[in-house]
Parts: sequence; structure tokens; C-alpha cells
Amino acid sequence: MKTMPKTLRNKIICLLGLGLVGLFLTGCMFDVSHVKLAPVSFAATTGPAHSFVLNQNVDARLGTGFPTRLDALTRWHQVGTTEYGDVFATKDQIVTVESSNIYEAQLVVSNRCITGFYLPVDLKFVSVGHPIPIEIKSFN
Amino acid sequence: MKKILGLFALVTAAALFTGCASGPKYSTIKSTFPPLAQDSGRIYFYRNSILGAAVQPPVKLNGNEVGTAKADGFFYVDRPAGNYTVETSTEVTRRLSLMLDTNQTRYVKLNISMGFFVGHVYPELVDNATGENEITECKYTGGK
Repeated sequence: MKTMPKTLRNKIICLLGLGLVGLFLTGCMFDVSHVKLAPVSFAATTGPAHSFVLNQNVDARLGTGFPTRLDALTRWHQVGTTEYGDVFATKDQIVTVESSNIYEAQLVVSNRCITGFYLPVDLKFVSVGHPIPIEIKSFN
Repeated sequence: MKKILGLFALVTAAALFTGCASGPKYSTIKSTFPPLAQDSGRIYFYRNSILGAAVQPPVKLNGNEVGTAKADGFFYVDRPAGNYTVETSTEVTRRLSLMLDTNQTRYVKLNISMGFFVGHVYPELVDNATGENEITECKYTGGK
């Protein structure tokens, strides 16, 4: 530092200061991972419900950096319907949608494709973007 | 120099241990907990790490404080079946939404992650097998 010209030293100090401010600002914006919550109309299943077993593991990516892993051989039972597809719940694993916050979720399936997740506490829908085809074995 | 180092170590140890829970272990006290009421479910909250022990935010359930996220500690609440939101706040607020059924037991793990000035405590819903296993050595802090 002793041999460094004063102007260069000042620039470096300035850059370091800016970097710290930037770090602080990004540090303040900790909620960097969001999911887009869409309004949805949910109707609970009243009649005979569909059920299926998932044949393979599925990683449903929501663009948050935290994919939701659905395990092979989990059993899913229809609990309702939305405009995005039928809503299925399971007791075989915990299903959550994770961003800066975590939401317990249920699976939304249409034409044997996952279209997203229904958030029963928030009464919202989270889309997976591109529908994810799944291999299932229906048992009801 | 040795004295200073010794003093520093003592202060660090004191800070660490005062931040930890000190009640009876889950494995020894569990049998004394009352059975669930007919229309209720139970939510266990536990933090099984001493990392960031000095950071102990209150834990809120549907906006009401129900306990503290003490390192190595746990507590529980019984609530009617329904939808719940768990919140912990340090320099940011972290939320978890979950459903609770009648006679259901749920486990909420309180994790700690890096923050800018203060660590962040975030609630995570874990399956019962994981929760029952990880809570065993935690100490009862009591709820509010």
C-alpha cells in the first residue's frame, strides 16, 4: 500500500466501500427466493376420489433453487379440484414448496402431468411452469 | 497473553452455554406430557443445534408467541385441527405454513442459517420419523 499511488488507493477504498454497501443491501434483501402465488378456486372432493401411486421419483422445480422431491411409491388421494387440475394429498411424505418461506403443499395433476402445487393454508396455486409428465399406477 | 486467551475462552463458553436450553431431555420427559384432547393435534418445535446459540427469536404460531427457539431445546403446543403459520424473526421473518389434523402430531425443526448481522432461524416441517429421532436429545424449554 505504501508504494501505491494515492489516487489508486482511494479508488480501491471506494470500490471496497461500494462492495460493502452492495453486500449490505443484498444482505437486507434476504427474501431473494420467491414463488409466484396465483389465485385459485378450490372445490373439495365430495364424490368418489381418484388415487394413484407414483412410479418414480420426481423433482418438481419451481425456479426457487429448492425443488420439491416427490418420492417413488408414495400413494396419493384426490382431495379436490382446481382450474389447474385435480388436487392430490399424501400421508407418505411431507410435501412443501420452499422459497424464502416454506409452504405445506398438495400436488396438482392434469392429464397425468404435474401442473403445480396447491397451498391449502394460503389458498394459492404455484405453477411448475412446464407441466411435468409422471408415471403413475391408478388404484382407484 | 495466556490469561487473556483463558478469559476469552471462558467468556465464549459462557456465551455458548447460557444460550442453550437446560430443561429435562425429551426422552425423559415425553411420558409426562398429557394426552391430546379429542379435537386437537400437537406441534413440536425443536432446535437440535447449538450453532448460533445466542440467537433465540420468539416462535409465533398464527401471530401469537408460543415459545422461544432456544438452541438444543424443544417445546410443544396443542391446538385444534386447522391451518397454521409459524413465524420466526431475527433480521428477517421466516414463515412456514402447515395443516394440523385431529390427533395428528407434527414436528417443526428450527434451523439456523447465515445472516448479515444476525443468523436467521427458519422453521421447517419434517416428517414424524425425522422429528422423533432428532428431538430425542433436546431439552424441554416449556411454551408460553
